[in-house]
Amino acid sequence: MKFTPRTPREGINVSDVHPLAEAATLIAGLSAILVAIALVIVFFVDLVILFLPPKLEARLFQNLVAEQLLSAEYDTPQARALQGRVDSLAEQWPDNPYQFRAGILLAEQPNALALPGGIILVTNTLLQQAESENELAFIIGHEIGHFKNRDHIRQLGRAALLGLLAAALLGQNVDSLSGSVVGLTMGGFSRSQESAADEFGLQLVHGTYGHVAHAWRFFERVAEREGDLGPFASFAASHPSPGDRIERMARLAERNGWPLNGPATGLDGLR
Amino acid sequence: MFEIVATLVLLMVTFFIGNWLEKRHYADIREREHRLREFPVVTFKTIPATWRVESSQLAQGSVVVSVDYFKRFVAGLRGILGGRIKTYEPLLDRARREALLRMIEAAKSDGCDAVINVRLETSRLASSRQGGKGTAGVEILAYGTGLRLAQ
Repeated sequence: MKFTPRTPREGINVSDVHPLAEAATLIAGLSAILVAIALVIVFFVDLVILFLPPKLEARLFQNLVAEQLLSAEYDTPQARALQGRVDSLAEQWPDNPYQFRAGILLAEQPNALALPGGIILVTNTLLQQAESENELAFIIGHEIGHFKNRDHIRQLGRAALLGLLAAALLGQNVDSLSGSVVGLTMGGFSRSQESAADEFGLQLVHGTYGHVAHAWRFFERVAEREGDLGPFASFAASHPSPGDRIERMARLAERNGWPLNGPATGLDGLR
Repeated sequence: MFEIVATLVLLMVTFFIGNWLEKRHYADIREREHRLREFPVVTFKTIPATWRVESSQLAQGSVVVSVDYFKRFVAGLRGILGGRIKTYEPLLDRARREALLRMIEAAKSDGCDAVINVRLETSRLASSRQGGKGTAGVEILAYGTGLRLAQ
């Protein structure tokens, strides 16, 4: 037997792939898979919502949201006055399947929220800044519009499932996630969702008062203050720019022949 | 946001440093392998009949390697889809060859003329993080029987 001196052969145990190319391939592939899964989730949630009646939704969420996630006032005289306004607006929605529950949230920003289960929360700051019932009615109508299109439950479903997906991938524990799910739920809807809610809200206002005067006064004031967003910042961040909104609503009123003049209704009992 | 930027910076820095170290190590390995290529290192268990052995001893060399951040990141992604962990391959290749070279160098400096019955072994070093489930590094041990031959 003969011994032949030789150095080891290269390229057997090591793949000839640049590490950056490997990283790029993996990142691109995984991103594509994630996007696909996210799309399936979005589609799946939309499908489930078709088969989730509002009554069941209310049973699942009303107590949870009202009593555990956000501490809002439901039993003060103010809140009961608000409930009355919400109910009379909701009467303009003929086949409304929801039993709305109105509450007042103590917060520094003027804002209103639609939460799963038919909960409508208005911040005390919004009540203080509102100058007439009409503009408040439009904001509530807008939230009812979110219920009509089931935006809130859609958002919740997406946020919960996408959150789970993120947790599974990042190894985050699910507990700390529920907080961010709530955050996402209350975070923005898409622009088209907001427009649809605006449209429905204005329709409710017209049905209730017979005109749409003063309805978007709140946004006009926001637009006037655009320079210094201040306390309006949060509302502006989660909604389309007030200027666009005002224009769109004026056009909408014109198209439907809704009167742009009429008396402002007072805010009795709401302050 | 800060976390993402920090991660990206860390990935870039560890990639460039790791890549540079790897190139340097490979150059060193190739140079030593070439220099030591005349030294017989075989896996036979028995001594060839023509060899006249004067004495024998244990010959061993070992290497402990760790993974850099970039390689671990890419391997983590690979761990989701499965397949060859290509970023670990050169790392372990270097470790095996380095362990063999250290064994040869040790045997040579002890006056050995050959090493027979060479074996390679691997063991994982547990990390103190993640409750000992993580891997701090890998040891590769090359060992065999060093032989001094009579001329």
